[in-house]
Amino acid sequence: MAIVRDAAAPELALPGLGEKTADRSLSRYLRRYGPIGIGVLLALAMVVIAAGAPLLAPLSPSAQFSDAVLKAPGTFDRHALGTDEFGRDLLSRIIWGARVSLHVGLASVIFGFGVGVPLGILAGVQGRRVETCIMRCADMLMAFPTLLLALIIVTALGGTLMNEIVAIGIALTPNFIRLARGLALTIREQDYILAARAIGSGQLRVMARHVFPNALYGLVVVATLYIATAIRTEASLSFLGLGIPPPTPSWGNILSEGRQYIKCCPWITTFSGLAIMLAVLAFNLVGDALRDLLDPRLRGE
Amino acid sequence: MIQYVLRRLLVAIPMLLGAMSIVFFAMRILPGDPCVAMMGAEATTAALADCTKNLGLHRPLLVQYVDYLWRSVQFDFGHSLRQGYPVSQYIGRMFPHTLVLVLASAVVAALVGVPIGIVSALKRRSPLIDYPLRIFALLGLSMPVFWLGILLLIVFSLRLDLFPLIGGGDLDGVINMLRTGEVFLYPRDFLAAVGDVLYHLTLPAVALGFTLAATVSRLSRSAMLEVISQDYIRTARAKGQGERAVVYKHALRNMMVPLLTIIGLFVAIALTGTVLTETVFTRPGLGKMLVDAIGARDYPLAQGAITVFTMIIIMVNLVVDMLYAVVDPRITYR
Repeated sequence: MAIVRDAAAPELALPGLGEKTADRSLSRYLRRYGPIGIGVLLALAMVVIAAGAPLLAPLSPSAQFSDAVLKAPGTFDRHALGTDEFGRDLLSRIIWGARVSLHVGLASVIFGFGVGVPLGILAGVQGRRVETCIMRCADMLMAFPTLLLALIIVTALGGTLMNEIVAIGIALTPNFIRLARGLALTIREQDYILAARAIGSGQLRVMARHVFPNALYGLVVVATLYIATAIRTEASLSFLGLGIPPPTPSWGNILSEGRQYIKCCPWITTFSGLAIMLAVLAFNLVGDALRDLLDPRLRGE
Repeated sequence: MIQYVLRRLLVAIPMLLGAMSIVFFAMRILPGDPCVAMMGAEATTAALADCTKNLGLHRPLLVQYVDYLWRSVQFDFGHSLRQGYPVSQYIGRMFPHTLVLVLASAVVAALVGVPIGIVSALKRRSPLIDYPLRIFALLGLSMPVFWLGILLLIVFSLRLDLFPLIGGGDLDGVINMLRTGEVFLYPRDFLAAVGDVLYHLTLPAVALGFTLAATVSRLSRSAMLEVISQDYIRTARAKGQGERAVVYKHALRNMMVPLLTIIGLFVAIALTGTVLTETVFTRPGLGKMLVDAIGARDYPLAQGAITVFTMIIIMVNLVVDMLYAVVDPRITYR
């Protein structure tokens, strides 16, 4: 037990708070901030690439170079990452594909957050029948794995960017409901909630002004992790041919189209898959590191 | 105990009903008439009307809904629009393939994930061991299974030519031989068939198993961390037991309890994974059947596949809840 406590004690200290006596060796610093640093850098790079796609992409993602069909990658070539079966520049398509991934990733998490968090807080604060009703609905949706639920919805609605966002958003909603309810349940027992009620705050005010802000940090941390899930789900849907239809480049459909050419031209699937992995990794790293900083007891869960 | 089981059952039934309702109504708002999808746009109005009547689509939605629920309970999901055979027949044929894949990848995930999780928990203060292992887990968690599958195909099927590119092997043959008792007559053929199945199974199981191993290793790491800080571990150490005995006899056994609860989660992730894995490896199975059915707009088939997926997940969770109560009697008192 003593060993465990010793190991955990320095981690409990938040960064910059009373840690002057602790050894500040480089390895220690890297250990704590390395992952989040790499994660933030990767995530920022992705945002920059997605936002600046028109400026950064060397060529148009839809331009077909008939002289360079299925060309292998070459560092100093016009097509650094090679081309696909229509002679389209893979690098440019992957750069433009970042837009779709990031757009769907962020928007669907915002959707799930926007719908799930109010419902979860309502369930946690109100209790009784409202809680039962909301939580049973959430349980029902939870019976489906995220990808399967998103797949059902996107099939029903049709594969467009908007529908994909809604589908993944709905699939993430029950997770946010559960999380927000859990946080609300602990927060509502706090003295400041009692105080707020004592001075006559209504239910809505308590939820919006007291419970929500106190739950926000925990919610945002987990939301970061769900961005990773959303990006992976989007790529999976596109890979299965249910996402955004082909002319628009998304990492999933680039990979899916490249599947037919893995024998001659493995670079198409390799690079598009690498992009997906790095994006998911980025948000996983940031989310993990934020959670560790927030609550060392959750480390590695 | 009986009360607990009943309570869990009472929770599971409405959940199953709700999930099936979602499937039903999602399939109803699908664009396009199933009859048009089945017979083509040139079909005469009379033929279409006949078809609508045959499929029971002329009835009120509520009647259709109740009918769907009643039939689903009996595993009757109607007939495939494309081939005309009963959907349950397809499901029966595809299910073993998916089951084998899930089991094999579970074995891979457990063999890779659990030791990594344990070592990473026990050596958490030595950066040279814990760190690479956690990075490995993160990579596995971030790597889409369909990409890993393609990389494996490129390396092991195309470049090294060690494993097949597509297919699932003759699993039907194996099952048939088991059923008819031919196993004992031709053991050599049987082993060859099993070998063929395993030959086709290796890459998909490794791909899916590796991505699952990441989740397993994280969960077993935290389960181990939880257990290792318990009083009885301190007691074991205090009475002078060696570290090996502490880990194997005390920590490992108790770690299995929290690990058991994740089987439900695991099955859900694995089943989702099979949809992608079977597509990448062009392997027969429920997941591939679902994707193909959606692509071909074969609604009864898709509906049946999704219903079966949900049933499996809810059932597994129910069973895990019960197992958990058996393993840890304190649960039933809650």
